[in-house]
Amino acid sequence: MLTTAQLLQPLARRRTNEVVVTTMSVVRPWGRLSDHDLDFASADSAMGHAADLALGIALARPDRKVVCLNGDGSMLMSLGTLATAVGLGAANYVLFVADNGEYEITGHQAVPGAGRIDHADLAQAAGFRHVFRFEEARPYAEAVGDILSLPGPTFVHAVVEPGREGPISRGPAEQARYLRHSLADWSHQLRAALAADRPG
Amino acid sequence: MSTPTAESKPTAESKPTATLHALVMAGVTHVIGIPDNASGPLFQEILRHPTIRLVTVAREGEAFAIAAGLWLGGAAPLVVIQNTGLLESGDALRGTAVRMAAPVPMVVTGRGYATLEAAGLRPGQPATLELLTRADVDSTALLTEPTLEAWGVPFERCGADDDPVAAVTRTIASAREQGRPVAVVMTRPLA
Repeated sequence: MLTTAQLLQPLARRRTNEVVVTTMSVVRPWGRLSDHDLDFASADSAMGHAADLALGIALARPDRKVVCLNGDGSMLMSLGTLATAVGLGAANYVLFVADNGEYEITGHQAVPGAGRIDHADLAQAAGFRHVFRFEEARPYAEAVGDILSLPGPTFVHAVVEPGREGPISRGPAEQARYLRHSLADWSHQLRAALAADRPG
Repeated sequence: MSTPTAESKPTAESKPTATLHALVMAGVTHVIGIPDNASGPLFQEILRHPTIRLVTVAREGEAFAIAAGLWLGGAAPLVVIQNTGLLESGDALRGTAVRMAAPVPMVVTGRGYATLEAAGLRPGQPATLELLTRADVDSTALLTEPTLEAWGVPFERCGADDDPVAAVTRTIASAREQGRPVAVVMTRPLA
């Protein structure tokens, strides 16, 4: 298994101008590694809808990659998004599932089918163009560059150890900049940042 | 999630060319949703349209998250779903478009309104257990407008005597002016 840090650090090192959408247990860890205007925390948000929200950004901005760092519990809440993403042929869409087998931030309850659901197989069956599955840190770290550069839709199933993240809030007490704003304020800032960075 | 009803069967004269023209004039870039009998002809027209992209989703809640993401990316989305699908979409709508203050207009086709009329009932009438379980009353229509009110979504109803093109145009403009989701509940065919 990877740790959450082993999942996120190689991605943060390789990331350039991709939009990165996080949710649930990776929201704070990503915020400790990244302070980018194009980060978006799907926190204080809709359950299970980070992957489809990221897909919407990808459809609007085919000129840049959009990475979603989803969880296994969140993915199970909206499996239909796998079909939608493939049906739309979103070549700039990279969907990660950090599979820790539990609802970490609500108190470590097991997700349905924990340990028996292979998310990579689900993505393969849905028709994702590239599907990766990682249980070890080194091959993952070596592949991250390719993952970000391949034409998608691309799916990454990473088996990770449960962490110790608790419920997420928004406000000045949060360390990550993208959590110090309301969802509305950060949304409008991200929209402006993307508009400013639109190719001529 | 959309289910057929006798009242919403498409007819030859219900081809929604005027509605599509209104969407083009309003600058809509993407229509996101799941078709039913009332919206199916519009979906078919958009499928062939050169500038508006059709995004058919697997479940209605997805439509609001995708629409919110489209707006983040600078696009101008319109959600088109049936009222049954609206009822499924509560947390997706609340947690994305509403919470983000994103201007996401929606056309909600209204299943079941004819059953209310036939039973002498009005939309928004208190949903007693007797009404919710009556065989001749479609509870979807009974619950649609109170649900929109509870979720804080401004809406208008567009009935048989109303102009559907004007209603859709108003809804899009209102969502953009207010910076929030706004709905039109369409209980008649699109034009």
